[in-house]
Amino acid sequence: MGQLVNSDNRMPGADKEADLTERIEAFLADLKRGGCGTGPIRGSGETARETTALLRKVTAQARWSSAGDLMEIIRKEGRRMTAAQPSETTVGNMVLRVLKIIREEYARSRGSSEETDQQESLHKLLTSGGLSEENFRQHFVHLKANVIEAINELLTELDGTTDNIAMQALEHIHSNEVIMTVGRSRTVEAFLKDAARKRKFHVIVAECAPFCQGHEMATNLSKASIETTVIADAAIFAVMSRVNKVIIGTQTVLANGGLRAVNGTHTVALAARHHSTPLIVCAPMFKLSPQFPNEEDTFHKFVSPHEVLPFTEGEILSKVNVHCPVFDYVPPELITLFISNIGGNAPSYIYRLMSELYHPEDHDL
Amino acid sequence: QLEQELVEYFRTQVRQDPEVPSAVAAIRTLLEFLKRDQTGETILGLRENLTQTIRRLEEADSSVAVSSGGELFLRFISLTSLEHPDLSQCKKVMVERGELFLKKISLSRSKVAKLCHTFIKDGAKILTHSSSRVVLKVLESAAADKKRFTVYVTESQPDSAGQMADKLQNLNIPVTVVLDAAVGYIMEKVDLVIVGAEGVVESGGIINKIGTYQLAVCSKAHNKPFYVVAESFKFVRLYPLNQQDVPERFKYKADTLKAVEDLAEEHPMIDYTPPSLITLLFTDLGVLTPSAVSDELIKLYL
Repeated sequence: MGQLVNSDNRMPGADKEADLTERIEAFLADLKRGGCGTGPIRGSGETARETTALLRKVTAQARWSSAGDLMEIIRKEGRRMTAAQPSETTVGNMVLRVLKIIREEYARSRGSSEETDQQESLHKLLTSGGLSEENFRQHFVHLKANVIEAINELLTELDGTTDNIAMQALEHIHSNEVIMTVGRSRTVEAFLKDAARKRKFHVIVAECAPFCQGHEMATNLSKASIETTVIADAAIFAVMSRVNKVIIGTQTVLANGGLRAVNGTHTVALAARHHSTPLIVCAPMFKLSPQFPNEEDTFHKFVSPHEVLPFTEGEILSKVNVHCPVFDYVPPELITLFISNIGGNAPSYIYRLMSELYHPEDHDL
Repeated sequence: QLEQELVEYFRTQVRQDPEVPSAVAAIRTLLEFLKRDQTGETILGLRENLTQTIRRLEEADSSVAVSSGGELFLRFISLTSLEHPDLSQCKKVMVERGELFLKKISLSRSKVAKLCHTFIKDGAKILTHSSSRVVLKVLESAAADKKRFTVYVTESQPDSAGQMADKLQNLNIPVTVVLDAAVGYIMEKVDLVIVGAEGVVESGGIINKIGTYQLAVCSKAHNKPFYVVAESFKFVRLYPLNQQDVPERFKYKADTLKAVEDLAEEHPMIDYTPPSLITLLFTDLGVLTPSAVSDELIKLYL
């Protein structure tokens, strides 16, 4: 944290920076602790908001003279944060969003046209007159204010995501439908509750062993007077023939349109495909990540298997291998629709949304 | 006259450097034409002469790559001429930008290899088809990254591309040559399929050596990922809906087209693989899903 230490030792300044360092350390500690199976301590929406707020503080307080310096600082912080909990991709996504904001504000300050020709394209290859290396070294007086304003806009967007998604519920859920969902997703909960205000329908929740978050989801839904049934994971295929739609949440949306969701989701997706039931994924834009599902070592997360086979079963333990993975990969062919805060999209369109949110050079922090 | 010289120039390029992609050789030849051409007085005249030259080059080498390289160059001329309506000024800028363009696309293969080799895991078994220099580069980078994998190469008749197996053996990668007919048999053993492409069409499908379509259908049936590696200058403005839609001038070798009367007797050298069978395309513009390809083409031609 070299840049953030104020060498003048002015009291209020030093206080603010110590406060910032403390907040970042507390955030990292929270992230690391959130590695247990029941999921992170706070939902991904809150993680995204906290990350963005921290990045805004860093922008405001760190010492930088050009956009290039700021991007370096943000990248460094981003690397620390993603290293604390690699499976929590929203942190990395927010860092990438902020980096894109900085690039855009820089381009706007320079007066270059707002054409989003930032990506490599055949057109660019043919018409550019020289290997222009943007090094972001120019200094602009209002850059700091502009960047902070843009980050504030991002925060407002983050605040409204769940509501934006829930607003679309009435278009997708009709009366007397049977909807299936898996485990617990705050987004899907809000989605279903919003539709329940005007429609009557039935929800089947798969409990999603071994952490059984489905139970909590069912309790919350029934409190909103929605008829809910909880089923065991083994019954998913059996019940699927009676289901009209499957609506699920996810932890991450990958760059190819696939999902990294709670384990058990692939089963539901396959059963839905077999019965030709539409599979709808409610995922806010901040869950979109530029990763592909190829890095097997970082893709999966395993937690303590004592939920699967408790330590009390001592005799068996020495003779078997027990795994407890947290995530599942769902390929894009099984998904019908993505509902995000900017509307509904097909999985084949994800590449376009990605190019609007992130810059390709930032993909590897 | 000048056209003859240029065809010779093209042939020498390919002979001297067997690693150079044919589209790059074509573009270099066309750039050479720009430098040598004294007769053109208007931009329209220049375009006509260029189109003529491209046609002669296609007669020399009928692969899709030459055609796509030529079209790209024509597009390049149009774009530049829009900015500089004066011919001599325009020519100077064109030659400059042309050299720059050539420099950039000579790096494309390494960019593709850098993107793709992370998808090859340790212990993977890879199946590839015929001989592709891009796939070779990808496998080279993966081997340099200390990954251990084995490769199955199809024999690829009628012009058995056995050279692929030799080159891989030189890199100390265990390789097995399989019959084209054995693709279905071997598919259950492999983890992924990587092929090159002679051309990438607007729908996101590819045009490649005959046998690729078969390979893609088999890998879909066995649920194995089917990856395509291609540089961006291979994107071509075609939209075939089936095998018959691919123009005849690409299907057969240049000498066959000139010599033979009834093409129905000849064996086609390429086939078309539809985008529904392709998992991902690795290009120097990034990792693309097949639906993203048409977006890229639109950005260029619109």
